[in-house]
Amino acid sequence: MSFSSAPEAPTPDDLDAWARAAQAGDRAAMEDLLTALRPRVLAVCRGVLPYTPDAEDACQDALLNIATKLTGWHGRGRVTTWTHVVAVNSARSTYRRMRTQAQAADPLEHSPITERPDPRTTSVIAGTRLDLLEAMEEIEKDHPQYVEPLLLRDVYGLPYEEIATLVGAPLGTIKAQIHHGRKLARPLLRGEG
Amino acid sequence: MSRRRRTLTTALLAVVLTGSTGLAACGGPDTTGGAGTTGGAAASGAPTGSPTGSVATEVDPALAAARSTPAEDSAYPEVGDPGVDALHYDLDVAWDRDTDTLTATEVLTFRATADAAQVRLDLAGTMAVTEALLDGAPVSTTHDGKDLVVQAAVVADQVAELTLSYAGTPEPVAAPATRTDIEGLGLTIDPDHQLWTMQEPFGAYTWYAVNDHPSDKALYDLTITAPPGWVGVAGGTPVGDTAAADGRRTTSYRLEDPAAAYLVTLAVGDYTSRELTSGSGVPITLWTPRGERRFDDALDTAPAAIDWLEQHLGPYPFDTAGAVVVRSASAMETQSMITLGDTDYATSPAVILHEFAHQWWGDLVTPADWRDLWLNEGMAMYLQWWWEAEQEGVPLDRYLERYAGDEAYARVEAGPPGRPDPRQFGSTNVYYGGAYFWAALRREIGDDAFLAVVRDWPAQQAGRSVRAADLLAFLEERTGRQLDDLWRSWLLARVSPELPR
Repeated sequence: MSFSSAPEAPTPDDLDAWARAAQAGDRAAMEDLLTALRPRVLAVCRGVLPYTPDAEDACQDALLNIATKLTGWHGRGRVTTWTHVVAVNSARSTYRRMRTQAQAADPLEHSPITERPDPRTTSVIAGTRLDLLEAMEEIEKDHPQYVEPLLLRDVYGLPYEEIATLVGAPLGTIKAQIHHGRKLARPLLRGEG
Repeated sequence: MSRRRRTLTTALLAVVLTGSTGLAACGGPDTTGGAGTTGGAAASGAPTGSPTGSVATEVDPALAAARSTPAEDSAYPEVGDPGVDALHYDLDVAWDRDTDTLTATEVLTFRATADAAQVRLDLAGTMAVTEALLDGAPVSTTHDGKDLVVQAAVVADQVAELTLSYAGTPEPVAAPATRTDIEGLGLTIDPDHQLWTMQEPFGAYTWYAVNDHPSDKALYDLTITAPPGWVGVAGGTPVGDTAAADGRRTTSYRLEDPAAAYLVTLAVGDYTSRELTSGSGVPITLWTPRGERRFDDALDTAPAAIDWLEQHLGPYPFDTAGAVVVRSASAMETQSMITLGDTDYATSPAVILHEFAHQWWGDLVTPADWRDLWLNEGMAMYLQWWWEAEQEGVPLDRYLERYAGDEAYARVEAGPPGRPDPRQFGSTNVYYGGAYFWAALRREIGDDAFLAVVRDWPAQQAGRSVRAADLLAFLEERTGRQLDDLWRSWLLARVSPELPR
């Protein structure tokens, strides 16, 4: 059978229109927008946080951020792309918060965040992504500008052009940031350090 | 009687020919095994060239290629019945556009898989059975909803012939899907009272009595009588075309290789046809609405699509190829005659290539359970992307990255590709997730090994219905690698892995 794109899902044009209406104060449009975005946001958060409850927390945070910071979307790219960035950042802050909690707790106690998942029972890739998040935390200390382009490129596979639009930097700068970011990340990743 | 004898002789010839083309020549003794592997024992080309010992002696050798091991579906158990192994459908249907009535005679040759007090087939309640004979003797039937039950005892492994006469106005049934391009499943009457059908994962039962499940492939003879000026179209080799004095035209087609019910197409309407030929000589018949030229350019790419696919998948697996354009929004890989909706998308060169790719991956080798739909769609999508990337001049890996976000989203929405939500049949998850599995496998085993398995799997399993586990066993045996981590993370995990790069 021929491929058919996701059916009842609103088109990106619909979402942009709802976002503009929501910015102008249309509460119903905001409701529609958040309902439509939720599965996407959850997918992004699950991509970063392998444990479903963590991902759901991050998803709630992200939707709250989208609702309160929607004025920050200037209509340069799709609202879905802007949403991506908000979701990634929410997933990262959830991760950061949980790591802090885990460190504050008894170090001998079982902690799902600091413990590497057993590849037999957990997606190997999910484990890799925890490493990647750790690496991002490291890189952010000295080169915070690399983090977002690198995540958008290497975790979400967005094209360079789209990242440049989103971040609001020239294409060449973005490519260089991703290149340098990768060099810094490589030794920090599991199995490659 | 004479007609049936002719049918069997030709079917026997088909079995011999299939065995000698080399399409199926590489199966070793182990390759027929594996839980759920069904059908096609003779067509698989056992080293001696003769049917394997597992073929019951009761089955006519001419029909051995259609012997299957039917199973109950894990997603749609209410359709199909593992008690019946259909071997041959001889369908003779006439369409009356003035009364919207389909009048049919069906001769179904089947093997009972177990001793039973009755035989159950799928047939829509809109089709009223007027006569039923089992091996020539009248037999009573009950017809409740879509369940047609023949009240006669059958014995395991014995072959019987059921003759049915029926008529009615066909009505599509609801699809277990959320796609907007599928309105209903089964035989559909268009606004001009023409007929077309798309019937995946089921829906053949809207127009004939059938074991409507992909684990049970069968041979087909289909004769269609169309109203004056119109013509009936189906897959397979054309074997008859006559006009009656009243202007009604009767065309006959024979599927020489076993086909699953969802891969049978029927269209009746005001059509004209053109003939093209692939580089390798496969005859291609293109059926379009009379006077309508807007599909010609896209359909003209069919020979090139087959040429491209033959480079990667080996010789085209059937004797004939073709396409018929109908009033749908979707497109279907119906066996040897693809069915294309009359939209720009459904008749685009990429979709045409996709549907022909299925002739190897889906039609020649078919999933035995709908949970394994990704076996079809993952590879067809991968091949389509591969072709699209070539057309655009973009490296395939770069091209694939574009869809990573949609793949992750689809997996959350409709489940992992290997465990899809049965209420969302044919959603993005099985297409994209399945395609990414192949991309990841290619990265893991290298180009040469990848190209070899993509070509050898359909050839080795020619004529069969298989489960995903059979494919995993094949891949591990061929590559000498443990692939269960890759398999689990791409096909079964709820969270998308990272794209291979």
